[in-house]
Amino acid sequence: MTAGAKGAGMGSLRWTILATALLVVTVLGITLGETAMPLAEIWKGLRGEEGPAALTVRFLRAPRVLTALGAGACLGLSGALFQRLLRNPLASPDLMGFAPGAGLAMMITLAFGITLPPPLVSATGGVLAALSVAILAHRRDEGLAPLRLVLVGLGFGFTCSALAAFLMLTLPGPLALEAQRWLSGSLAARGWGHVAQIWLPGLILILLLVLQVRALSLLDLGDDLAQSLGLRAGRARMWLAATGVGLMAAGVAVAGPVAFVPLMAGPLGAAITGARRIGPALLAAALTGALITCGADLVARAAVPGVGLPLGLLTGLLGAPYLLWRLSLEIERGGL
Amino acid sequence: MRAGFLLPLALLIAVLLALLVGVRMIPPAAAWAALTSFDPYDADHVAFLDLRLPRLWAGLIAGTALGLAGVILRALTRNPLAEPGALGINAGAALAVVTGALIAGRGDGGIVVALAFPGALASMIAVFFIGGMGRGGAGPMRLALAGAVLNALLLSLTTGIVLLRSEGVEVLRFWTVGSLTQAAGRPLAAMAGLVALSALIALLIAPRLELLSLGDSMARGLGARAGRVKAAGLILVAMLAASSVAVAGPIAFLGLIVPELARRIVGAGLRAQMLAALLLGPAVLLLADVAGRLILQPGEVRAGLMVGLVGGPVFIALARRVRPGALA
Repeated sequence: MTAGAKGAGMGSLRWTILATALLVVTVLGITLGETAMPLAEIWKGLRGEEGPAALTVRFLRAPRVLTALGAGACLGLSGALFQRLLRNPLASPDLMGFAPGAGLAMMITLAFGITLPPPLVSATGGVLAALSVAILAHRRDEGLAPLRLVLVGLGFGFTCSALAAFLMLTLPGPLALEAQRWLSGSLAARGWGHVAQIWLPGLILILLLVLQVRALSLLDLGDDLAQSLGLRAGRARMWLAATGVGLMAAGVAVAGPVAFVPLMAGPLGAAITGARRIGPALLAAALTGALITCGADLVARAAVPGVGLPLGLLTGLLGAPYLLWRLSLEIERGGL
Repeated sequence: MRAGFLLPLALLIAVLLALLVGVRMIPPAAAWAALTSFDPYDADHVAFLDLRLPRLWAGLIAGTALGLAGVILRALTRNPLAEPGALGINAGAALAVVTGALIAGRGDGGIVVALAFPGALASMIAVFFIGGMGRGGAGPMRLALAGAVLNALLLSLTTGIVLLRSEGVEVLRFWTVGSLTQAAGRPLAAMAGLVALSALIALLIAPRLELLSLGDSMARGLGARAGRVKAAGLILVAMLAASSVAVAGPIAFLGLIVPELARRIVGAGLRAQMLAALLLGPAVLLLADVAGRLILQPGEVRAGLMVGLVGGPVFIALARRVRPGALA
């Protein structure tokens, strides 16, 4: 066996591992819960037979798991896209304050009783946040340094979260409690409406991203080379950023500003699959994002009987140590 | 410098407002009467003594501690973003306390006093360890990022533990955002003593801390034992952060706002900045608390959140100034 074939063999094994993990988490997500359900019951439920188990599967578990998968994939893709675009593993939309911005926009509509489609609101918030952070982090002498973008975005995120927490206090009791859960990321009580809300815009945005993969890989070569190969670098970058914000917003609209999923999915996916080229790396990021979100949601509702932990808590516990480790790597490498 | 003389006045106004203004307005005469001829059946008197006074104490203690800790950290790290809240030091103290309460099954003052300081110290060591690895020491970017992440991690853990103990929303908010509303049950006297002691030591070692800001080698040349002075400064920061958390929970960004204000008002001298922070810290925190009482009547916004609303934009403004390539 040649080295190349062996590498490919290893590669497909790693992809299989990722896909299997995703499948296992999906199945567990449907089986486990307040009442554990044997697979036979689930099969009945999915085939449309009647009974309490069928109802649970069809109206509670299946939409929740599908929403988690969709939101996770969108968030993961968005993170990986920005990390590639800004060539910095820390430049993800949650760390740069875009996700808190989208969360704040959702909170504003809730507090002032405005009814608009959530993905639209979240996208508007995300775009405004991205523009604000870019403008605030821009310096005439140094342009847009990715690290200043992260640091300013961090402050922007703090501000948005504080404003959202403030608005939450203006809400009446039960609504405030729900809003608080949502603000830290939650997939509780998701129905088929949410599934449509994430998968329709999600699939369109993923399609848009697929069309731009070539541009992204050209930009990866450096602006000068990309220009000489016939790419309008500035415009391509803007479209890619817009797609990234859109993906992030779609995820936030149904799952709330879940911490660290966009940040982790890309690098983790690349580590699992060994994907280096941009197309496969993005696919790995989407699958890993879905895996993390669905898995975290599973742990959040099943870990402590009777206590539904917030989803953002789990991703935070998972993501923060990862980021600390990543940070130490960057520092040792002298990238920071 | 002239503005410096207005600081005591600002603090006095803040104290008076904190005592008298709120959902229940207490007339000055009633406040005076509560102190001189207390009547247990007068609602104003009871509110003044049982609610407003402890709350004032908590504000004074936490405000002084965080303002001073911010000034010391900024001088030690030469980093305007270094602040006990944003670096996760406050969150470390809070996590230690709620963990202790989970294990012991009770959350009284003894646990708070015993665990807040070790928690603050441990998280401070962690953040400087992560932020200070590699060449060039703890650059502003590294330290700020490491701190933000550590803070997020510790707050997540704290949230998880409080939720596991099925405590109410009010307790959760105290241990994650910080507020002055729980002042009555806090170890106020012990923490006031600790803060006073720390402040005294800080003022005494101010000149040596100031030498450090010239750079380690320069400081050594001038006779300061850089390592020892640094260690003393950091222990002071942990003590101050721990006492603020013990009375008011982890309030973030006060240690960012106060040193910046102090520097603008009294200039570069470290001892003058410390004195200014001692007055400004409680003034800002108490005013934030009063504003929080008035803004959503009859509801109330926690002081920690009010400070955060101002602190976020200040963080952005300071982050804009940091140069990515700068070592310190």
